[in-house]
Amino acid sequence: MRTWLHGTVAVFLKDFRLELRNRYAINMLLLFVLASLFLVLFSVGQETLSPPLMAALLWIIILFSTVVGLGRSFVSEEEQGTVLLLQLHVLPSSVYAGKLLFNLILTLVVNLVTVLAFLLILGMRVLRPDVLGLTLLLGAVGLAGAITLLSAIIARTVNRGPLLPVLAFPLLIPLLLSVISATRKALTGTEWISVADDILTLVGYAGVVITASFLLFDYVWKD
Amino acid sequence: MSGKTDRTYRFLRYVIALWVTGVLLAGFLVDIPRIKLLEHTARNLYFHVPMWFTMMVAFLVSAYHSARLLATGNMKHDIHAEEAARVGALFGILGLVTGMIWARFTWYLGTNLWWNFDPKQTMAAIQLLIYGAYFVLRSSFEDSRRRARIAAVYNLFAASTLPFLLFVIPRQMKSLHPGAEGNPAFDEITAPEMRLVFYPAVLGFIGLFWWIYHQRVRLKEAEQTLQQCCQEQPVLP
Repeated sequence: MRTWLHGTVAVFLKDFRLELRNRYAINMLLLFVLASLFLVLFSVGQETLSPPLMAALLWIIILFSTVVGLGRSFVSEEEQGTVLLLQLHVLPSSVYAGKLLFNLILTLVVNLVTVLAFLLILGMRVLRPDVLGLTLLLGAVGLAGAITLLSAIIARTVNRGPLLPVLAFPLLIPLLLSVISATRKALTGTEWISVADDILTLVGYAGVVITASFLLFDYVWKD
Repeated sequence: MSGKTDRTYRFLRYVIALWVTGVLLAGFLVDIPRIKLLEHTARNLYFHVPMWFTMMVAFLVSAYHSARLLATGNMKHDIHAEEAARVGALFGILGLVTGMIWARFTWYLGTNLWWNFDPKQTMAAIQLLIYGAYFVLRSSFEDSRRRARIAAVYNLFAASTLPFLLFVIPRQMKSLHPGAEGNPAFDEITAPEMRLVFYPAVLGFIGLFWWIYHQRVRLKEAEQTLQQCCQEQPVLP
């Protein structure tokens, strides 16, 4: 257990320091969010967006940015030839856990930035910030959990690039429906009891996805 | 393949062919009670619903073989998993098409609609997308062992999110399907005499799946055997 925790923290810190040095992923994610946001702004023009439309756009931008940004987490290991070192020194499950932790933080940053941009630029009004906060947190856990395993799968294929959205989007639909429904309720204001269904689905989804990833990661990681 | 399984296979093949023919005849010819609005379209119950049952069975078979592949590393399970998924996807498409036709002439009567985002319909379409992604993923490997393992992982990962698509989300949304909120459940609106055809139809179509699936697996295995002996003794043109 101690070695597992140690390995997890080591993998996480390695990714974190690399990110601090070149800031590739975070810059790309933020620019992607802003670029797609301005795309939305120009497409809708002067129209004011209704809360359901706003919730849908918010999550579509988050989904696309994270799928594009997090897809590199294992591909970069493969390109730099560091896979063998990780395989030798760290347990497979702690590689997954470390990467998941790092991706989770990236996803949370993306979520926050997107919501801030929506608040400032699109004039989004949130009547229940607590519901929105919980939705963003749980959504990030589910997203990061699913995409981390899928990006490990992608890193093993021959042409690594564009396959990730194809693999990820159908699997993320249950998550997307629940977060959009919860966000819509958070924007229009509601009691906790009416979002309970969505929140429980999100908790269940994140739990299932992360558990399945821990069980399956060994088979992706080792040949 | 030993002689005994060969004979069982041939025997079962005839049983299934006769059974499905019987189901088709009964489905079109046996008199059914006229339910308001449904009328004769109710016969689609014998075809539309069994398609989904069959698809679920097929995907369970596929997931089972994927799990066995990861546990044992035996490549024969890879063939089984792939072919079960392929035939299952075929049944899924048939289920979607029969459902669309049925919906057009009952729910959306007079509206010219083919598709109205009924949650079950949409979720089933997404499930087919997942299996489409599974086949795309399979085609992006050169090494067959690695392909088998990674495809099996994706198959099981997808299978773990399927309950949300098929059972959790559709229950939270409004649907016209029986059993959704406010709608009568399946057994309340089904006339007892229709079950006499419906249950055999379910068995028949699952049998049909088994037949096609085995045929394809046998074909793949024969191809592999052929390839292996060609590698040992190159055949001259």
